[in-house]
Amino acid sequence: MSNALVPMKADEARAGEHGELIQLVSFSLDNEEYGVDVLKVREIIRMPSITRVPNTPHYVEGVINLRGKVIPIINMRRRFGLLELDYDKQTRIMVMDVEGELMGFIVDAVSEVIRISSSEIQPSPAVVTSGIDQECIAGVINQAERLLVLLDLQKMFSQDERRLFGNL
Amino acid sequence: MPIDCEDQELLEGFLAETTELLEKLDDDLIALEKASDDPELMNRIFRSIHTVKGASSFLGFDLLVRVTHKTEDVLNRLRKGELQLTSEIMDVVLEATDLVKTLVADIKGGEIVDREIDETINKLIPLLTEQPQVATQAAATGEASSGTETAAPPPEQKPAQETPPAAAMPPAAPRPAPEAAKKPAPPKGPEKGGDDLSDNSTVRVDVKRLDDLMNQVGELVLERNRMIQLNQDLQGGTSDQILFSEEFGKLAKRMSFVTSELQMQVLKMRMIPVEKVFKKFPRIVRSLARDLGKEVDLQIFGEETELDRSVVDEIGDPLIHLIRNAMDHGLETPEDRLNSGKSRTGTLILAAVHEGNSIIISIKDDGRGIDTDRVGRKAIEKGLITEDQLAAMSQREMFDLIFLPGFSTKDQASDLSGRGVGMDVVKTNIKKLNGLIEIKSEKGMGSEFILRLPLTLAIIQSLLVEVEGEIYSIPLASVLETLRVDQREFHVIGGQEVLKLRDMVLPLVRLEQVFNVRRCHEQDNFCYIVVIGSADKRVGLVVTRLVGQQEVAIKSLGKYLANVTGIAGSTILGDGRVALIVDPVGMVDGGEGTSGAR
Repeated sequence: MSNALVPMKADEARAGEHGELIQLVSFSLDNEEYGVDVLKVREIIRMPSITRVPNTPHYVEGVINLRGKVIPIINMRRRFGLLELDYDKQTRIMVMDVEGELMGFIVDAVSEVIRISSSEIQPSPAVVTSGIDQECIAGVINQAERLLVLLDLQKMFSQDERRLFGNL
Repeated sequence: MPIDCEDQELLEGFLAETTELLEKLDDDLIALEKASDDPELMNRIFRSIHTVKGASSFLGFDLLVRVTHKTEDVLNRLRKGELQLTSEIMDVVLEATDLVKTLVADIKGGEIVDREIDETINKLIPLLTEQPQVATQAAATGEASSGTETAAPPPEQKPAQETPPAAAMPPAAPRPAPEAAKKPAPPKGPEKGGDDLSDNSTVRVDVKRLDDLMNQVGELVLERNRMIQLNQDLQGGTSDQILFSEEFGKLAKRMSFVTSELQMQVLKMRMIPVEKVFKKFPRIVRSLARDLGKEVDLQIFGEETELDRSVVDEIGDPLIHLIRNAMDHGLETPEDRLNSGKSRTGTLILAAVHEGNSIIISIKDDGRGIDTDRVGRKAIEKGLITEDQLAAMSQREMFDLIFLPGFSTKDQASDLSGRGVGMDVVKTNIKKLNGLIEIKSEKGMGSEFILRLPLTLAIIQSLLVEVEGEIYSIPLASVLETLRVDQREFHVIGGQEVLKLRDMVLPLVRLEQVFNVRRCHEQDNFCYIVVIGSADKRVGLVVTRLVGQQEVAIKSLGKYLANVTGIAGSTILGDGRVALIVDPVGMVDGGEGTSGAR
C-alpha cells in the first residue's frame, strides 16, 4: 500500500530512519481525508437517534445512548466550519477516547485502517485549507496519490471551549 | 520509600482494621474527656492503640510503632491513675492520634514518607514522667519504656522537664531527622489525614444481604432463560403471536418484580449510616470551642440514619462549614450568654432523620440568631444588593443573603471565618446533591439550618414531560402539582408571563424557550403547567404534554457537558433514547433571575 516514501523535512528524517509503525483510521469529511490514531478509536457506529442538548455550542449535536452510557456527539462538519450535509448511508459516528472520556464524532464516511511509519508524518503546512483550527492538526501524511491530515483529538477543544461547554 | 510487604493481603487487613480502630478511637477519646473515670472506656482506648502498635510492629512500620508506643505508655499511666486527665494531655494524645492517622494514610497511599514525628513524641515524653504520684511507679514506667526503646530518659533525670526530650532526641533522631531535613515532607494537617482515612473504597456487607442478592440474581437468570426460550419458540414457529404476547406479558411482570427487588437490595447495600460523617464532629467542635473560647455542648441525634454513600461522601464539607458557622457566628461567648440570661454553655444540636424519600439533617444552635438588619446592611456595604432590593425582601430572602459568595458579617477575615466562602460552599454542594436548605432563625434565640437531601443520587422518581416533541424528565421530588390550563389565562407582568393560581401569582417558564426547542406542534390554547419549587420559590414550567411518571436511573452527561444550564443530567428511556433531566433548582433560580432583571 505504501511504497512511495516522500522526501521528508531534513531535520525530521534524521531522527528515525523509518520510525515506529503506527496505525490510523482514515475518514472523510467534505472530500478531504483525515486520520486518527487507531488506539483512540473505540468503535464506529451508524447514526442512532440523537437527543439534542440545549444551551451548548452549535457543533454539539447532542447525546446518544451507547449501551447504557450517555456520550456527547460532535458534528465534525460544523466544528470545522464546513458546509452541512444531510446524513446518508455512509455517515458514521466515530466513538473516541478524548482524555479519558468517550465522545462521538460525526464524519461523512470511515474508509480504512492504514499503517504508516511515524517518519512519514510531516508537520502541517503553515496555511491549512478548509479553515480547520491549526491546533488539532498533528501533521500531514503525503502518500503518492493521497494526502491525509492527521488529527490530534486531545487538542480538539481549547481550554476556552471546554469552559464554554458548561457555561454557554 | 515504597512499601515492601510480602503479603499484600496482610497489609490490606492491617489497614482496614487500623482505620476502623482509629475512627473509633477519636470518638472514645472525646467521650473520655467528658467521663474520665469510665474504666471500660479507658480500657477500650488502651486496647485500640495497643492493637495498632502490635500490628504495625509485626509488619515493620517503625515510625508507627514509635508513636503508638509512646501514646500507649501515656495512656497506660492514665489508666493506672498515675496521671490526671487534663485537656492539655488530651490535646497531646489527640495530636499523637492524628499523627498515627497520617502515618497510616501514608501506608495506604503506598509510600512511606519520612515524617517529623519527634515533635509529637517529645510532647508525649514529659507526660511519662510528669507529676508522679508514686515515685517508684513512675520509675518503673520509665524503665519499662527504656527497656523497649533503649532511649527513654533514665528515671533520675526526670525532675527537669526539658531534659527528657533532649535526652530522647539523639537515639530517635539519626534515622528520620536528617532525611526529614533533606526532603521536608510537609506534614499534612491532622484533619486532612483523618479525611484520607475515612475514604470509602471498600464496603462491608452483611452476608445475609449478600445471600438475598444472590437469590434475586438467580431468579433474574431464570427469567432471562425464559425470555430466550420464548424468543426461540416464536422464531421457530412453535408458538403463535397470541400465546407469545400472553407469555411475554407474564414474563415482563416477573422481570419488573425481580429487578425492583434487586434495585432495593443494591440500594440498601450502598446505604451507610450518617454516623460515618457525624463522628468526626465531636472532635472538630471540641477544638473549635477551645480556639474560640466558647463552651459548647454538642448533641447528636439520629446518627444511625442510613443514606447513600455517594451522599455521605458529599455532605461532610457542607456540614463542617455549617458547624463552624454556628460556633463562630451563632453561639456567644460564655460571658455574653450569661449577660443575656442564657446558660453558660451553648448547645449545638446535630440531628438526622428520614422523611419519605429524603433525609433531613439539621444543625441547630441556641445562639444569637441571624440579625437580618445587620445582614442586610452588610450585603449593601459589600455591594451585593441595592437598597431597593433590600427593601423589597422578605425575611427568608434576607436569610438567603448569607449564602451569597463574598458575603460575611465579619469585617476582618480570621483563619476560621470571614472570607465569605463557607456558606457559598454549603449552598453549591447541597445544590449539587439536589438538596434544599432552609433557615429558621429568631434573633436572640438561635438558628437552625435544615438540609433536605435525597436518599440516593442514582435512581429518582421523575415526571416525564413532552416539550414540542422532545421528552424531558423532571425530578418528582420538586414537582408540587400539575395543571392543565388555557394559555389565554396567562397574564404578563413586566414582560414576565405569570398565572394566577389560587391566591398566588406563579411566574411561568416556557421550557421550549429556555431549551430552544423548535416548535413542531400547532399552536394549541391548552397546555400543561408543572409547578416546581425549591425552598419557598415556585415556578410553573409550561410544557406541551405530560407523559407519565417513571423511575429513572441518572446518567451523567460526562465532564464536557457537565454544566449545561438548566440540565441536571440524563437518563435512558425504555426505547433506548436519551432524555435530559431538568434541573429544578436552576429553573427556579433562573426564572427568578429573569423576572428580577426585567
